[in-house]
Amino acid sequence: MAATLCVKLLPKQGWLPLTQIVRHGSKSVTRHRRPMHILKQKLMAVTEYIPPPPAAPRGAYPSQSRKVKEGSPLVLLMKKEMGKVFQENKMVAVAQNNGCNAEDMMMLRHSLYKHDIRVRFFPNEVARLFLKESIYCNMTPLFMGPTILIVSKEPKVKEMLKTLRGSPQMTLVGGCIENTLLSVQGLQNYSKLPSVTVVQGELVSGLTMMTSRTASLLQRHPTHLSALLQQYIKQQSSDAGAEAAPKAEEAT
Amino acid sequence: MLSFVKAAVGGFTGICRAHGHQGPLHSHLKVLTAGLQTHAIPPDFSDVVLPEKPKLKPTKKVPNFKTIKKEMKNLQDIQGPATAANTFKKGRYAIVAMGGGYLHWGHFEMIRFTINRKMDTKRAFARWRVNSPYKPITRKGLGQRMGGGKGAIDHYVTPVRAGRFIVEVGGKVELAEVQEALSQVAKKLPFPAKVMSRESHEAMLKNQAEKEQNNQNPWTFKQIAQGNMLGIRRILSPFDVRTHGRFTGKFYFPGRV
Repeated sequence: MAATLCVKLLPKQGWLPLTQIVRHGSKSVTRHRRPMHILKQKLMAVTEYIPPPPAAPRGAYPSQSRKVKEGSPLVLLMKKEMGKVFQENKMVAVAQNNGCNAEDMMMLRHSLYKHDIRVRFFPNEVARLFLKESIYCNMTPLFMGPTILIVSKEPKVKEMLKTLRGSPQMTLVGGCIENTLLSVQGLQNYSKLPSVTVVQGELVSGLTMMTSRTASLLQRHPTHLSALLQQYIKQQSSDAGAEAAPKAEEAT
Repeated sequence: MLSFVKAAVGGFTGICRAHGHQGPLHSHLKVLTAGLQTHAIPPDFSDVVLPEKPKLKPTKKVPNFKTIKKEMKNLQDIQGPATAANTFKKGRYAIVAMGGGYLHWGHFEMIRFTINRKMDTKRAFARWRVNSPYKPITRKGLGQRMGGGKGAIDHYVTPVRAGRFIVEVGGKVELAEVQEALSQVAKKLPFPAKVMSRESHEAMLKNQAEKEQNNQNPWTFKQIAQGNMLGIRRILSPFDVRTHGRFTGKFYFPGRV
């Protein structure tokens, strides 16, 4: 009995009520918007369109709309020029120019020029266009904002860092030295290294010293050599004995 | 440094002036600038065929029905979205209604005059996308007492729904050349109207579809109305259920999904 009652009381699924409310008196007013029912107002407010969240913050990626026309002869010329810069120079450092005025820039260029280091300017679009096709494509993230290229035929990192210390507007972001991409830390480490000739000299001197010492030992009197060897054997044996003693203790 | 250069140049010009040949040297000191310009390729109109009569035809003020019959108000004919003449046919640019309304003969004349006057008829053509007035509107005479039956037919109108094209313009012209005339017409119409090109119309439809697809709101009007959630159908009309709350009467909400 209870079951049948429940079945009767429960509304059936997919069943529309037989009695529908017939609306009277609501004419289509076309001069102005009809005042909306409060429930419909709520419904309209609840079902507003919500746009999907933007995938990345604005400015994180270069804008899609501003694309460089590849066919433009000026762009092609600048691209070629940039290729030449990368080909000819062993050091290509990228720095950001944070509001450096013309006079400071001129001073900086002058002081860099003393060490035969040049400053080159290329639009970022051109740089991206060039880097996309070249082997230096990993440098692309460095080209953001106002960027300058500091180039020299020899890798004069130490001089460059020293000069850049004098101009606070310039922020070094990275560089490519002898086809090796380096971060700022890497550039600083690189600058601390001694020059190639010094290292080669050290190596050569080390090698020659060993041979010269051996030669001098051999040229000395044989008794001296034998005494030395005897001393060496004694030291070895004493070391072995010292090592053996604790082992024996452990065994007992 | 700059000041030094300036001083040097100044000194140089001073010397020149002293020597008396200021003219030619001054012209040498001028900074010559050379620029490089790349112009956009003009659109290709080779496939456009201009009709013989490019102008808008005059419309009839009164339709020639055999039996003239008074009609009821029937305001449904301006409610909701247009089902006819809502896509491009021959032209490239059009005036699109963004709401419902009635066009009467005066509007037709205004559109015709403005477009025929401003349009270059040698390169462009225009075509009606609405019929001449056919719906009779009755009015009672001035100073007449109420009652005594329905009044006489006063004038005829053309009902227009949202999304319907009013006039199409095509030919060997770009949008900028006809925009002025079309927008001038669009703002005088009795409903909100927009000037659209084939591309912008397509973009609008695509944007609408995309919005519907990517709506982040889990609650949509369609779902709630069709599911009759919390008995909301009690206050919604079948028209609302059909148009998903995008229209109230003749008014269209373009921002809603």
